Amino acid sequence: METNFILAGFGGQGILLAGTVLANAFMLQGKNVTWYPCYGAEMRGGTVNCEIVVSDEEVSSVHKQDTDFALVLNQQSFDRFVHRVKSGGTIVSNSTLVSDSRPRSDINYVFAPMTELANNLGSSKVTNIVSLGVLASVSDVVSKEFLERAVVKVLGEKKKDLLPLNIKALNSIENMCLV
Amino acid sequence: MDKEKVLIKGNYAIAQAAVNAGCQCYFGYPITPQTEIGEYLSGKMQELGRGYVCAESELAAINMVMGAVSTGVKAMTSSSSCAVALMQEALSYAASDELPVVLVNVMRTGPGLGYIYPAQGDYNQAVYGGGNGDYKIIVLAPSTVQECIDLTYRAFYLAQKYRNPVILLADGLLGQMMEPASLGSYPYPEVDVSSWALTGAKNREARSIYSVAREEKKQIQHIYDLHKKFDVITQKETTFEEFNIEDADIILTAFGSMTRNIKAAMNVLRKKGLKVGVFRPVTLSPFPHKRINELASLGKDFIVVEMNMGQMFKDVKFAVEGKVNVDLVNRPCGEWLSVEEIVSSVEKTVEGRKQYAASV
Amino acid sequence: MQQVFSIPKSMKKDFKYTFCPGCDHGIAIRLVAEVIDELGIREDIISSTSVGCSVFLYDFLDIDCVEAPHGRALASATGVKRARPDKFVFTYSGDGDFASIGLAESMHTALRGECISSICINNTTYGMTGGQLGPTTLLGQKTTTSPTGRNVDYYGYPIKIAEHIALCDGTAYSARVALDTIPHINQAKQAIKKAFQVQLDGLGFGFVEILSSCPTNWHMTPEDAHKRVREEMIPVFPLGVFKEVSKDGN
Repeated sequence: METNFILAGFGGQGILLAGTVLANAFMLQGKNVTWYPCYGAEMRGGTVNCEIVVSDEEVSSVHKQDTDFALVLNQQSFDRFVHRVKSGGTIVSNSTLVSDSRPRSDINYVFAPMTELANNLGSSKVTNIVSLGVLASVSDVVSKEFLERAVVKVLGEKKKDLLPLNIKALNSIENMCLV
Repeated sequence: MDKEKVLIKGNYAIAQAAVNAGCQCYFGYPITPQTEIGEYLSGKMQELGRGYVCAESELAAINMVMGAVSTGVKAMTSSSSCAVALMQEALSYAASDELPVVLVNVMRTGPGLGYIYPAQGDYNQAVYGGGNGDYKIIVLAPSTVQECIDLTYRAFYLAQKYRNPVILLADGLLGQMMEPASLGSYPYPEVDVSSWALTGAKNREARSIYSVAREEKKQIQHIYDLHKKFDVITQKETTFEEFNIEDADIILTAFGSMTRNIKAAMNVLRKKGLKVGVFRPVTLSPFPHKRINELASLGKDFIVVEMNMGQMFKDVKFAVEGKVNVDLVNRPCGEWLSVEEIVSSVEKTVEGRKQYAASV
Repeated sequence: MQQVFSIPKSMKKDFKYTFCPGCDHGIAIRLVAEVIDELGIREDIISSTSVGCSVFLYDFLDIDCVEAPHGRALASATGVKRARPDKFVFTYSGDGDFASIGLAESMHTALRGECISSICINNTTYGMTGGQLGPTTLLGQKTTTSPTGRNVDYYGYPIKIAEHIALCDGTAYSARVALDTIPHINQAKQAIKKAFQVQLDGLGFGFVEILSSCPTNWHMTPEDAHKRVREEMIPVFPLGVFKEVSKDGN
């Protein structure tokens, strides 16, 4: 069983880091996982994205045309990746920056005000971690418990003081009703 | 060192493996998609009191490596495609001088400047070389981040063991992706270099390492000797992987990170009832001609899948000696051929072969 | 009886003289050998050699040498020095190797302040290939690729190597000397010694440009060739020390 994710947003929203946390969570879960970013000049301005593939078997291809899940933090990313979600797949959007439109009828839409939630916690910088919490709440494949462990691992000793804020961010979606 | 797996980028994995292997000096010049190797090592080498130079060009970088390894230490450079083109002269010298140069090529797209998309267009450049004269390089092609580590270790070992330049031929995809891998520690014994390394002519005769040959006979003998050495390398160091070969009618072949895609395609095709296996050379030079020929003798057809216009394809065709069909499934560069694309191309090829067989 | 002249210890015992009659390479290599003897560093040396007539250095000197492709001697030397900072590293190349094809490597080695010593033989032509226009060919000079003489419109200007190297902050010593007269030869030896000493003192890059004759390609007798060095080269390439950093940092 192989599941893949595209995470996208604009530079500075911490997309690659969110991807790293997600991939670490899968690794800690004992799964096979790959993380593949867009890179180089493609990154200067515009959107940033990375792809995560998780599998019980060996991961087949690292980069895929379509995706089971798209997690998009800005409008540009929504517009670009909504067309790459597999039929029956899910696009999870940051409704603070993405307007509620549903151009396809064969996929699921989840909207959550991720930047707003992050601001409520005192820092828009944790929008990426908030978004992972949202992803975990709508995907059976992603485990919040392992995401927490991954956050601890990725922040490490050096950024330990940021841990409480990030754990809060991960759980900030808990009592919200997703639409 | 612990065997714990870490989520690590291919480029960082190569860099840390070089550190673990005891690489004493790194010389390099930035180029996407391998720049992280130089960035990572800049801090690391200073911290460890080892040598590091931001070279003025790739020409300088590889020649710095040649100078460093002539003293018996392990040293490396890393670069990508169009910049590796600049290093071809030095590789020819290093092969002739028998210097254990290690070069990492994280391939991008060519020809010319091309772009930073991943590609596998430097198979010919690595395996056949762009330098002058009859020389051979050892070429290792990793397919996963774990292999980036394992084959970096092997590159340093083989370079010193055979006093021959080694290229680690990775691609942008491998360089940039992260995957759980375990670094472990350098698994090879240290090679005794004392019989040839330059350390100053103290209590021994002076040594010169050079390729200039003013006597024709000596030059002829030198070339024969280099090739005899490579025969030994071919015999002892040729490595490859095989999956589901025994009952296979069709063998998919790829190198580098495309291997994972053909393995997945094999699984899909097997479910569809086609007897498909996978053969993947780990060493592109020496190339496993012999084994491919054996498989061809058993009547197994080959389909080569690669991200270039058919470079390894020619080696496979050469190896089968016309005994079986060899087809090519390819794209020049960019997005890797997907599992679905490979599956449908293989199905089309098989259908085409059937129709052809029925028509004759 | 006192022996006042002998072959330097750092010379190989069985070397054959392979340069053209009257070539100054012979004198220059001998001076390098004498300096190596006097500093007692033969056993610590790893030299990176160049391409051109200067390549024959390893036929004469009894030291460890590694070959570099044309123009890359200073890059190779940098690699040697970074791998073995405890060794004495020098290069010996012609003006074509040092200042044409290898200009980037030479300048950057000086800019990095590598503790390497470098000798450059300037004879205003590519000697080994039969006398073509090089980076130091004088204005008006006829070569096989400037048959009517070097003119600015076609060929541009010759490079003043020692002055350029002196401009590099990492350079500890840069001088230009000649081999046309006995006093000049003595000065040349002192300059080589200084260029070596700055390496031993860890001060940075040591450089000497040696104005040399190439009677064969200049189509001159050795005597006339030295006269040309004096009358035509020195006015364009003045002798002197262009940079000298001393131990106390001045």
